[in-house]
Amino acid sequence: MRTTFKTGLFAYTGAALALMLAACGTSSTPETGASAPGKSVILISPNPVGVNSFLQLGVKGAQAAAKEIGASFKLYESKDPNSIAQNVDAAVRAKPTIIVGISFSFDDIFSTVPKQHPDLQFLEVDSCAKTQAPNLTCVSFKEHEAAYLAGVEAGMLSKSGKIGVVAPLDTPFMHRWIDPFYAGAKSVNPKTAGTTLYVGGNNPFSDPARAKSQTQTMIGQGADVVAASASGGNQGVFEAVAAAGAKSFGVDVNQCAQSPGNIIDNVIKHVDVAESAAIKDIAAGKTGGTKVYGLAEGGVGVNALDGDVASSQCTVASSPEVIAKVKQVRDDIVAGKVTVADPLAG
Amino acid sequence: MNILEWTFVASVLTATAPVVLAALGGLLCSVSGIFNMALEGQLLFGAFSAVVVSHLTGNAWCGVAGGVAATALYSAVLSVSAVTFRADPVVVAVGLNLLALGLTSFLMRRILGTAGTYTSPELRGLPTLASLGLGKITVIGPVLGPQSPLVPVAFVLVVAAAWWLKRTRSGLRLRGIGQHPEAAESLGLKVGPYRHGVVLAAGALCGLAGAQLALGNVTLFSEGMSAGRGWVAVVAVMLGGVRPYRVLGACLLFGVAEALGFRLQGVGLPQQFADAAPYVITLLALVLASVAGRRRSARLEFT
Repeated sequence: MRTTFKTGLFAYTGAALALMLAACGTSSTPETGASAPGKSVILISPNPVGVNSFLQLGVKGAQAAAKEIGASFKLYESKDPNSIAQNVDAAVRAKPTIIVGISFSFDDIFSTVPKQHPDLQFLEVDSCAKTQAPNLTCVSFKEHEAAYLAGVEAGMLSKSGKIGVVAPLDTPFMHRWIDPFYAGAKSVNPKTAGTTLYVGGNNPFSDPARAKSQTQTMIGQGADVVAASASGGNQGVFEAVAAAGAKSFGVDVNQCAQSPGNIIDNVIKHVDVAESAAIKDIAAGKTGGTKVYGLAEGGVGVNALDGDVASSQCTVASSPEVIAKVKQVRDDIVAGKVTVADPLAG
Repeated sequence: MNILEWTFVASVLTATAPVVLAALGGLLCSVSGIFNMALEGQLLFGAFSAVVVSHLTGNAWCGVAGGVAATALYSAVLSVSAVTFRADPVVVAVGLNLLALGLTSFLMRRILGTAGTYTSPELRGLPTLASLGLGKITVIGPVLGPQSPLVPVAFVLVVAAAWWLKRTRSGLRLRGIGQHPEAAESLGLKVGPYRHGVVLAAGALCGLAGAQLALGNVTLFSEGMSAGRGWVAVVAVMLGGVRPYRVLGACLLFGVAEALGFRLQGVGLPQQFADAAPYVITLLALVLASVAGRRRSARLEFT
């Protein structure tokens, strides 16, 4: 009995572990494009790319840029801070042309590793290490400017004057999508009241059931525009507004097609564009420094600003007066007549 | 009564239904003397398989059936290792929970061809009771109207389980097996088959819970979407012990805490506090339960 018990236990846990490792270990995509010998780009993600449209865009941008400069492309997906360090280690050993890290999760490691490897080039997207070595280039965004524009649209289109945001967690970074959204709405309708609900719980970035329930709660309290900043939970927000006849906003990419007729517009961050420009710059020898992409640089925006808004399936397309206003506010921000407060500053 | 309060009740029921179904599975295992901690993984696996089958067949009810069958099969790993090989069910459950997370993400890329969130206008969700003609009735309309038919089923199943455990011969035998397996065996009861049965039944119930979560609460699958609901179910079983109505009460308590948390967040309660509320409630309930338990003599009764 004793032996059976032990073998059984080991067999099962062993099999489970093996499958687990196979299923969610560090994975790398095969090389894409024709690779010139020696040139390569390695992208390290802070989390599995899966749930995250933002990371998907990051991969897309790096892939495109690698193709253009004739380099091979590899993706190292991390699961947690520990595996980020391991992936950076592995990337450094592979000696690629450029190592790309996405998000603030790389702030710590990129303040030391580039110094130890002056012969390699590093790129940090969406944040910057505190001590920046000359071989570290940074790209960051002014998401708050785009969120402000979305707020302007929400303020004009909300009939009840009650708007809301569903966000994953109450962290300073998330407020870049929340506070300017309300500020934008108040700029066109001072009576607008904004409520934020945070998904929280065990899996804040992928809990659509909770996001949906929170949206229903806000709609029940009179909100008629609820912006979705809930990452993997966004679809839950869209389902709730669709059922109640309210409207929503998508985030990062054009999400209007996910729920046609229910999404006004999207707060877009052109990670791919900025990242691929930076990779090409580095490949051309322009390294170091920080480039900030805002409305002026076309690094962030809303679909209403695009020429092809009519085919975007976003409902803002049928409100030309809103589009005109958004364009005017965009011009004001670019010209410096309107300043959008950055919740991260100060 | 204004409409707001009925929508509150409705959101409590929506939040509670998947948890109740999973907890009922955990309760049956607990009655038979097996501590089933794999509810979270099975719930996730159920949600995934329900969405996959609904996607493949274009029929939500086939999705529910598929989710139930696939999750029962998945729980066979627990029943075989814990009952046949006498492995520690807690260890196996930890493996199953982790496996479900990796396996669903992996199979999602293979079968649904996407990562992160899978949704599609063609994906059929469960109908709401309002669309089946219940929307007009007072009280029942606003409370049950937005729910899927599985929500009332969940609560009916609790009543059925309570009746089965208390009033039937097989229910009595299951309780006997849980209280003293050797004594039950010496009386000629087949302990193994009973335990296999309840572990598989718990798998089926978790499959139903997953189907409700992924095809009833919402109509989509996203990685890790069980988001701790299975763990809440495990805690509910620990709080309620082997008494179905107490387990139901514990689940409702969590549902109320969640729905109330949303409303309090809206008026300025910090998110971190709302997040902590269910755990504070668990602690309080555990303390109260143990105090009450000490006062009362340790009678074994089933309500």
